[in-house]
Amino acid sequence: MLPVEIIFLIDLLASFSVYLIISLSLNLEFGYTGVPNFGKVLAVAGGAFVVGSIPGRLLFNLMQINGNLDFITNNALIITQITNNLKTNIPLSLSIFILSIIIAAIVGAILGFIASYPAIRLREDYLGITLLAMGEVLRVIGNNYRDLIGGSLGVQVPDPFAWIGGDLRFAITTLSMLFIAILIFIYVEFLIRSPLGRTLRAVRDNEIAASALGKHIPMIRMKVLMVGSALGAIGGALYAFYTSAVIAGTYNRVDWTFWPWTMVLLGGAANNIGVALGTLIFVGARKLIIFYKGFFAPYLPFDVVWLDMLLLGIVLILVLMFKPEGIIPEKPTYTIKVNHIKKIIENRKKV
Amino acid sequence: MIDIILRDAITFANLLTLLSIGLSLTYMTTKIPNFAHGSFATLGIYIALTITELWKLNIYTSLLIAPFFGGLAALSLYKFILKPLMNKGASLVSLMIATLAFDLVLLSFLNIYADYLTKTFKIKSRVFNLRGYDLKIGEYPAIFPISLILSILLIIILHLLLTKTKFGISMRATIENPSLASVMGINTDLVYSTSWFIAGSLAGIAGCLLPIRFIGNPDTGTTMIASIFAASIVGGLLNIYGAILGGYLIGLTEVLGTNYLAMWFGSWIIPYRPIIPLIAMVITLLLAPKGLSSINWYKIIKKFGSEKNASC
Repeated sequence: MLPVEIIFLIDLLASFSVYLIISLSLNLEFGYTGVPNFGKVLAVAGGAFVVGSIPGRLLFNLMQINGNLDFITNNALIITQITNNLKTNIPLSLSIFILSIIIAAIVGAILGFIASYPAIRLREDYLGITLLAMGEVLRVIGNNYRDLIGGSLGVQVPDPFAWIGGDLRFAITTLSMLFIAILIFIYVEFLIRSPLGRTLRAVRDNEIAASALGKHIPMIRMKVLMVGSALGAIGGALYAFYTSAVIAGTYNRVDWTFWPWTMVLLGGAANNIGVALGTLIFVGARKLIIFYKGFFAPYLPFDVVWLDMLLLGIVLILVLMFKPEGIIPEKPTYTIKVNHIKKIIENRKKV
Repeated sequence: MIDIILRDAITFANLLTLLSIGLSLTYMTTKIPNFAHGSFATLGIYIALTITELWKLNIYTSLLIAPFFGGLAALSLYKFILKPLMNKGASLVSLMIATLAFDLVLLSFLNIYADYLTKTFKIKSRVFNLRGYDLKIGEYPAIFPISLILSILLIIILHLLLTKTKFGISMRATIENPSLASVMGINTDLVYSTSWFIAGSLAGIAGCLLPIRFIGNPDTGTTMIASIFAASIVGGLLNIYGAILGGYLIGLTEVLGTNYLAMWFGSWIIPYRPIIPLIAMVITLLLAPKGLSSINWYKIIKKFGSEKNASC
């Protein structure tokens, strides 16, 4: 058994990876494009629900476990068997892990499209309201439609890292999550330095000027929301694999929309390093509150969870009022050096 | 006598209308969609709970206190958070986030208060209703006539305030053109503060009547916010009378629609109730984004009339 500190650190790192992916996707949507996505939870829940419903069923049929069992009713039994089988089959484990994440991303993109379609052409406040309202839908469906992810009781998720075994399993899972988070970080960095990134900023800063230059604003916003939702869904999928269970009730507005918003605003919107810092600060603070919950609890006549939420609200207000640009503000865009431009022109002339 | 489902539907629609009027009012004046509006109603719910369970008073006495507290919450959101932010030139998105953040603060205080009531006084403070405290008129609970009369009365008072008084005229002037209004010597800040106070008070009234018929919980307001926005958007967000229309339309469809669908398809459909206002909202945004009040009904009727004539 690992010491408590190490477990705490691994848990912190895992949560950090998940929230980093989600905050980065929100930063792409809000920070760079100015789309107020108040329904981030929709994409996250979408990704998690994919992991809850698809890999389990796929492996259930693939491994030909007793066909008389019902996937939802005998969920725990089936998943235990699947995980046992996966222990000896490393290629299958890894391929099911990657496949689930790809499906989650596709589903996330579709959800982003559906949620934003009604209001994508309207002013940003209408878009925000619509996305917020849409964010609740998936949880309602997940909570009540039992065939999807077992209703309010939830389902278990097959463990694609079962073959590692022992204490190392959590560490490896966390490291692979961190690896995916870093990949996404690099992807977003490249994206915002590309011409598309500059277009996104143009859309954010001056819609009229951007559309006068021939940019189709609703289309750009929609694309960004689809990419952002796909990334958010990857975050949700990883979280589901990490906790090896999906319960619809845990995908609420506060945890998966407002926490990422606070992280982005605290760290600095439109600055990925700032967002990473904000994510680290918030995930750390929250984990510490939960870690020392037993210490606070006897002195308080209420649940410590609400202190957590109060902190979130107050920090959000204070950041907006006193440091709206965040800890690390947005940096000016990198431009190509003059010599480089000259070289390009010369090359053109040769052709 | 009207059957129980229809009575429930009308009661719910009355309360939803009070909420959507307030939301539209603050949106019209300050142009900020207030996501904390639902929690002002939750404040009313807990005032009603405190008055009945803790102080053992008649539940309708909460109508005297709840509007004050709801209004105070709304006013403090405007005065201490939104106005300083607006003065700094914050973007619309920041203002929206500020209302969301205020909602979180209110929500956590309500949850703390609910825990406190349960732990200290052993009062059931989650998923409760106060039907037992309702008065009776004849055999029927009094909430239906009281909520109906009260909401109609409040709508009439608001209408008179906006059209007949000097203050109402200055309010409408501020809505039309704030800078011109302030040049003419209208205290726009006072107008804004008043509109936020009125909105909060209406939400407080709706909130303290809500648990008499429906279930109260600390998150009632935040779950209702989608319905409130749907009602306001169906009405057009920029029109109080549209909000009234939208409130009744969404309130009645939500309750009656769920019931009729449950009758046809079975009771499994009941938990999907929150999807109904969302569908109404999506349809409105796709077909007439500025709401029912923006549609030129005269033109449509004329068009259909002329087609009929042509076919003849």
